Amino acid sequence: MRKSSVALTVVALVLFLLASTAAAKTRVTYWLWLDDPTDTTVQELVEEFNRLHPDIEVVTETIPLANYYDQLLMAISGGGGPDAARFKDWWLGAFYDADLLEDLSPYIANWPGADDVVPNLWNTGMIPGVDGIFMLPHQYITFYLYYRADWFAEAGLNPPRTFDEFLEAALKLTDPANNRYGFGLRGGAGGQDQWLAFMVAGGARIVDEAGNIVINSPKAVEVNQWYIDLYRKHQVAPPSAPTDAYAQVVGAFQAGNTAMMAHHVGSSVMMTDVFGDNVGVLPIPAADPENPATMGTMSGNVVFSTSDVKDAAFKFISWLSEHEAMDKWSKSRQGQLPVLQSVAEQDYYTQNEFFRVSLEGGNYAIVWPPLPGTGYVASYVWQNTMQRALLGEITSQQMLDEIAKALREGN
Amino acid sequence: MLRHLNEKERFTPFLLLGPALLLMLLIVAYPLFQALRLSLFDASLLRPDRARFVGLTNYLNVLRDPLFLRSLLNSTIWVVGCVTLQFTIGMLGALLLNREFPGRGLVRGLSLIPWATSGVLVSLMWTWMLDGNYGVINDILVRLGLISQYRPWLALPISLGGVIAANVWQGAPFFAVMLLAAMQSVPQELYEAARIDGAGRFQQFRSVTIPLIMPTIVITTMLRIVWTANYMDLVFVMTGGGPGNASIILPVLSYITAYKKLKVGEATAMAVLQAILLIITLFVYLRLVNRKGEGGLSLYEV
Amino acid sequence: MRYKRVKEFLFLWIPIVLWLTFVLFPYVWMFLTSLKEPSELYTSPIQYLPKKPTFAGYKLLMETTKFPQFILNSLLVVGGTLLVTGTVSTAAAYCFSRFDFRGKGKLFGMFLVTQMFPSVLLVFSLFLIMRTLGLLNTRLALIVAHSTFALPFTTWLLTGFFNSIPKSLDEAATIDGATRWQTFWYVLAPLSAPGVVAALTYVFIYSWNEFIYALTFTSSIDMRTVPVGLNTFMGEYIIRWDLLTAGGVITAIPIVIFFMLVQRRLVQGLTAGAVKG
Repeated sequence: MRKSSVALTVVALVLFLLASTAAAKTRVTYWLWLDDPTDTTVQELVEEFNRLHPDIEVVTETIPLANYYDQLLMAISGGGGPDAARFKDWWLGAFYDADLLEDLSPYIANWPGADDVVPNLWNTGMIPGVDGIFMLPHQYITFYLYYRADWFAEAGLNPPRTFDEFLEAALKLTDPANNRYGFGLRGGAGGQDQWLAFMVAGGARIVDEAGNIVINSPKAVEVNQWYIDLYRKHQVAPPSAPTDAYAQVVGAFQAGNTAMMAHHVGSSVMMTDVFGDNVGVLPIPAADPENPATMGTMSGNVVFSTSDVKDAAFKFISWLSEHEAMDKWSKSRQGQLPVLQSVAEQDYYTQNEFFRVSLEGGNYAIVWPPLPGTGYVASYVWQNTMQRALLGEITSQQMLDEIAKALREGN
Repeated sequence: MLRHLNEKERFTPFLLLGPALLLMLLIVAYPLFQALRLSLFDASLLRPDRARFVGLTNYLNVLRDPLFLRSLLNSTIWVVGCVTLQFTIGMLGALLLNREFPGRGLVRGLSLIPWATSGVLVSLMWTWMLDGNYGVINDILVRLGLISQYRPWLALPISLGGVIAANVWQGAPFFAVMLLAAMQSVPQELYEAARIDGAGRFQQFRSVTIPLIMPTIVITTMLRIVWTANYMDLVFVMTGGGPGNASIILPVLSYITAYKKLKVGEATAMAVLQAILLIITLFVYLRLVNRKGEGGLSLYEV
Repeated sequence: MRYKRVKEFLFLWIPIVLWLTFVLFPYVWMFLTSLKEPSELYTSPIQYLPKKPTFAGYKLLMETTKFPQFILNSLLVVGGTLLVTGTVSTAAAYCFSRFDFRGKGKLFGMFLVTQMFPSVLLVFSLFLIMRTLGLLNTRLALIVAHSTFALPFTTWLLTGFFNSIPKSLDEAATIDGATRWQTFWYVLAPLSAPGVVAALTYVFIYSWNEFIYALTFTSSIDMRTVPVGLNTFMGEYIIRWDLLTAGGVITAIPIVIFFMLVQRRLVQGLTAGAVKG
């Protein structure tokens, strides 16, 4: 009897100790999206962080990108929501406007890793005219064009450098009877990035130098019409283009149904796996070869002002932006351009054609400005108006007018 | 005869009804008043503290909005298309299941499975079957010679048709079972009498079956109209109202206005208008039906 | 004789096969798809039967996704809803059936009118209420919401059932000295068993499949019910139809099993309740 009661007490003590150390753990909820949900890199990184920091427990949740913005809003406005999250520059304006983002500059001032970040990338997390950094840069991309090198060789075509060459190649390679189309136009969720890439390459802009919204200027209307015509007039895009999102566009390209596809370095590993040398990469063709342009976007990390565990949350997101974690993430199947100089200098990135074209694009990349309505346009208005324009229900001018209005007014 | 209510029992009805009433008050009545109140404000989901009172402006804006009118049209197509097709196929099914054959019980049981399936799962199954590249429906239609090429049904302006197909599959069995039950309570002697009078099968159906199952037809159809008008799961998951606004129905528009456009006041106004329109439709429907001489069908007697 | 057989075949068995095909084809197709490897899935022309059936998709799902959690959440929500709705609607139905009081018809009518409101009308207000009560992202919020919305139809069904049991039986029991409770439990309840089964099945199906409130009230992955989890899953794995269909099959199993168990009683109950004798 005595022995067992001693044993019982010991067990109870041990459990109590375990429980109290467990209670001492700070729990950080982190949301993210994944283009490829079967990729386990992020899970591995989180496990490593948890191991290295026994007083913090990071718990992740994956939300599809198409619903990310709405779900985040719903969760946070419901009093719940994560402490930190992977974030797009699209949403910066709207969330800042609603005072939902924590200013990270005090933390960054004490973060040793800050010096390693490429200096001009800090802008992507800032709001013009406002002091403070609201998003910690993490991975960024610039858009480029994949093309089927084998099809082009077979047809005797040169890789296109201008809008005219692009259209010509697309027309030549379109063969509906054999389910082949020149360009995988993306009218569904998330397609606004590649649309913007073509728009700016065609000479249009969202805002001018003074910050006025010019997305519905005559020039922009013209370029937009060219883009719409790819589907409606020249029919070089698959019939399902209006609702095609990432998965459908990449599925079509991989199945050999499209000759060209706009995307970024995040899919380059997958592309080379599938195609080897049969896939090539080009900068986005420009209307005027003297003035190339493409679109760039930053996926960073934020901490929400509603969080109770901001210190621990920052600890996690800053760890993600340090050398090892950054390197691992950038080298994964979905890896994008690292924001750290020490990482970007490596041969893996400088010797890789896909990374090279991406970096070159960085010299003339335009980003979505952090206006109050950018998040709204990115999550709803662009897709809705683009589909209506592709279906012929509204004109190019009407589409751009609606987008301009939404950018200005926001939600 | 009901037992006389004595002193002890005076409160029993209230005790019995109490919990139900409490739930209804808390979860239906109170939110309803809150919603009506909210519909008079211009409020954003993101910044609820910045809400402004705007009176009936939301309602006026909504009624003038071409998008609302379009969703009204789509909703009408949605309800009429779904209910008529469900009724027709359901009636055929009921006639079939009314016959005697071995294994009838099992077949009848299996028949209700579509009705028991969740809207999300139905959406999954039908989105796959309607797929533009690998959908089995495309394959069957081509083999039957009805189309020449695979079409991406849910990416076309008639995407609502694809969703209607899914809903008809989900709902026809419900009609079948309800109509079957009604048919089974029709006395056989009436068919005998009709046959003796020289009526063929179809005439028997018209003059015996239909009139006697009419109450069930009316009630079931009414239930389905209400339910279909408010049913947004399928459209929401299969097309999200797209492409563009091609398949948007009223409840989906209301949800999108609240959770994508973040205009909760306007969204609530839309939902209120929808409820009003539905109630009006039902009154009209009941009037029409009662005029046909079925006598009054008050909700309680039903 | 032979003519009759042929006629029977043409006009009975073929329609039955067609009907069953109509009813079951989507499930069969979903199941077949879940057994195919991706290479067999995206072929042109499409392949109907898998040449090399595999359960790899299921294995991947059970190992890497949270479907078991979703099923557990749904079971908890449905269980709670059955409990609450069962007791509350039975009490209300008994009241409507066995008591007369002023405004009874109107009250009953009001119950039914609530069925007319679209869920989108109330969803945001309920969202705010749940937030105030601190019930957001809990299963309790769903139990409360589901119970309330299932109440009118269930009460109507049960009232109809109780009404069809002659009040003379109540009288007889009272004369024998039974209390009201005893009368209910020993006389009314057994006789209305099919109706109760029908009502509870309706509640089960409604609650298990409910999507909009579950979507709006829950934000974290461990609280998601099956429909919401499946919807998110569709968003993540879109075009991995081998995995999506495997997920679909997994989520269909509980309800199909339950359904096959109760279907006979259910049909009895639904039909007897709807058609007044």
